[in-house]
Amino acid sequence: MGLKIAIVGCGKIADAHAEEIKKIPSVQLAAVCDLEPIMAEQLAVRYAIPRWYSDVAAMLETERPDVLHITTPPQSHLSLTRQAVGAGCHIFLEKPVALHHSDAEAIIEAATGAGRKLAVNYWPRFEAPALELRRLYETGVLGLPIHVESFLGYDLGGEYGTALKRDPDHWVNRLPGKLFQNVLDHVLNKITPFLDDELPIIEAMAYRGNATGSESSAGGLLDELRVVMRGAQTSAYATFSAHARPLGQTLRVYGTKNTAFVDFMARTVVLERKQTFPSALGRMFPPFLVAKDYLRQGMKNVSSFSHARFHFFDGMRRLLTEFYLSIEQDTPPPIAYKEILRVSQMMDRIFEQVYPEVRA
Amino acid sequence: MTGAGGFVGVHVVERLLVHGYTEIRCFLRERGKAERLLQMAESHPGAQLDLCYGNLRSRSDCARAVADVSLVFHLAAGMKGSPAELFADSVVVARNLLEALESHDGVPARKTRVVLVSSFGVYGVVPLGRGARVDEETPLEDHPEWRDTYSHSKLRQEQLFREYQGRVGFELVVMRPGVIYGPGGGAFSSRVGIQIGPVFFHLGGSNLLPLAYVVNCAEAIVLAGTHPDSAGQAYNVHDDDLPTASRYLREYKRHVKRIRSIRLPYFITRILAWSLEKYHRRSQGQLPAIFTRYKVAAAWGGNTFSNAKLHSIGWHPLIAPSDAMAQTFEYLRGQEKKL
Repeated sequence: MGLKIAIVGCGKIADAHAEEIKKIPSVQLAAVCDLEPIMAEQLAVRYAIPRWYSDVAAMLETERPDVLHITTPPQSHLSLTRQAVGAGCHIFLEKPVALHHSDAEAIIEAATGAGRKLAVNYWPRFEAPALELRRLYETGVLGLPIHVESFLGYDLGGEYGTALKRDPDHWVNRLPGKLFQNVLDHVLNKITPFLDDELPIIEAMAYRGNATGSESSAGGLLDELRVVMRGAQTSAYATFSAHARPLGQTLRVYGTKNTAFVDFMARTVVLERKQTFPSALGRMFPPFLVAKDYLRQGMKNVSSFSHARFHFFDGMRRLLTEFYLSIEQDTPPPIAYKEILRVSQMMDRIFEQVYPEVRA
Repeated sequence: MTGAGGFVGVHVVERLLVHGYTEIRCFLRERGKAERLLQMAESHPGAQLDLCYGNLRSRSDCARAVADVSLVFHLAAGMKGSPAELFADSVVVARNLLEALESHDGVPARKTRVVLVSSFGVYGVVPLGRGARVDEETPLEDHPEWRDTYSHSKLRQEQLFREYQGRVGFELVVMRPGVIYGPGGGAFSSRVGIQIGPVFFHLGGSNLLPLAYVVNCAEAIVLAGTHPDSAGQAYNVHDDDLPTASRYLREYKRHVKRIRSIRLPYFITRILAWSLEKYHRRSQGQLPAIFTRYKVAAAWGGNTFSNAKLHSIGWHPLIAPSDAMAQTFEYLRGQEKKL
């Protein structure tokens, strides 16, 4: 029998975890837990999960899961990780990892100290376009990265945004970095593989957007963030916008040889190549080459769809599969711990500048 | 009253004032919803509306909501959002409110009356077959997890009220409205059909549409909620002379806006649902199973409805169906012009 999995925290994102775990035939989702029994019950009933609990200690004691997915707000991640690794579980943690970098360090220390493995749900990094970008980088097609731009659009009028706006006590509004802290992992973890320094120079600014015609923010929530980073060889921009439309999730990597543009929503990777044609011809051909790339990507997406590999959380399934495999084969987990820590450290630096009063 | 600032809530407050209930605590989540209630209070001399702000997910706010009250109208519920949100806003909130009732000082819980506004969605109509009559004796849904999450959460909410009623002993009245409509509401219930891109897929066909005009519905809630014989009873709430879904769509096109619609016969919808279900399973959910044969049968199988029990306690629609539809379409036309 394969790994036995349990989930603690039965809010919105737990649905995605349950859905993706159930797609992996070699593991079994045995139980779920939430302090609020009604929430645990609803998740168990909707996903036909055999048992549900409102006490995590009771669940760990009775079920003895191999892996615990922690999908609670980050305020409880450290204590739950300690409790779970104490019970012998490996940990799959929902982002954001922790409130502060020091907690992230303590979380990884707790897991590694107990000889357990840990992964964070950086699922976009395991999407097909991200893997293609990694291949382009590792095979030298891009050359050395000079600059990286990571963009994330956010819909404050969507399910998640509406919940934040309606409830000032929502756990996201109580994070040191508020709304940004809940999403910034997905902006930064796409940049870190290309940044050569442990910690680059970081300049951040945030403000409330009031673009006409788009969803206005409420309650003084800052909803536009710009971050400039500079490492020894590579620089980066990170942009979070709640007002730009259409909602996008993109990454552009400028290399010394070529530039790659990744659209995570459309699932395309397009290479902007150095031109070799002379004069006016060099200006005429590029659109056709880019069009050819998009056509190829479109066909690839059709093929993925026809082979049922075009799910929204396909990257999460791939990440989970690799994580579970790393446990079974005792190999390194799919995301290096130092990557996780770099992201949390960068987030700390950003929030110090954006919300200095919270830090104080 | 919880949900006092909502689409139905403001009308229930008004009907309570008309019926002479002047001391009403209106529980509101958003301060912006208070204005209409305050205007209403001005036109009813003697009205004492106690506007109470908070979030029913908080137990302490629930305690404030029910302190020293003898009659609770619970209208607040999650209407949209993720499944977790719907359960939190309908079921967790209900449990918090019931616990607050159980432990509150002042009026003993067993002497309190609680009126729950539930939904038609709680009925288990699929095993009944097409054309079956739905009344208060119709069994409740056995497989809520096979239905839409809204119906699932409303059924769990109703079960919770019954569990606490058995334990605490308060008087419980359950109201089950059909499709509540009127000025301030939406244009189409999914019972008529659904909009996909630029096309409206008309799936309801000649099924009866259990419309409940919001004012008539509010009157029913107040009347049954305060009637001496209604303790322990459930009431279906819908208007008389129900239109069919196709008539509603036709009238909408005539009076509000021309829209492009395609009518899908029931058997075609079933075939499509069967195909989607099969594909959903085979592809491990690449396309969501928004339609399954079970969901299709529940939503568009077609039933007849009875509001005889509501009539038996003296309810009659304050607004005639034709006027109700005219007023609704006038409002919707105004909304379209604003766009």
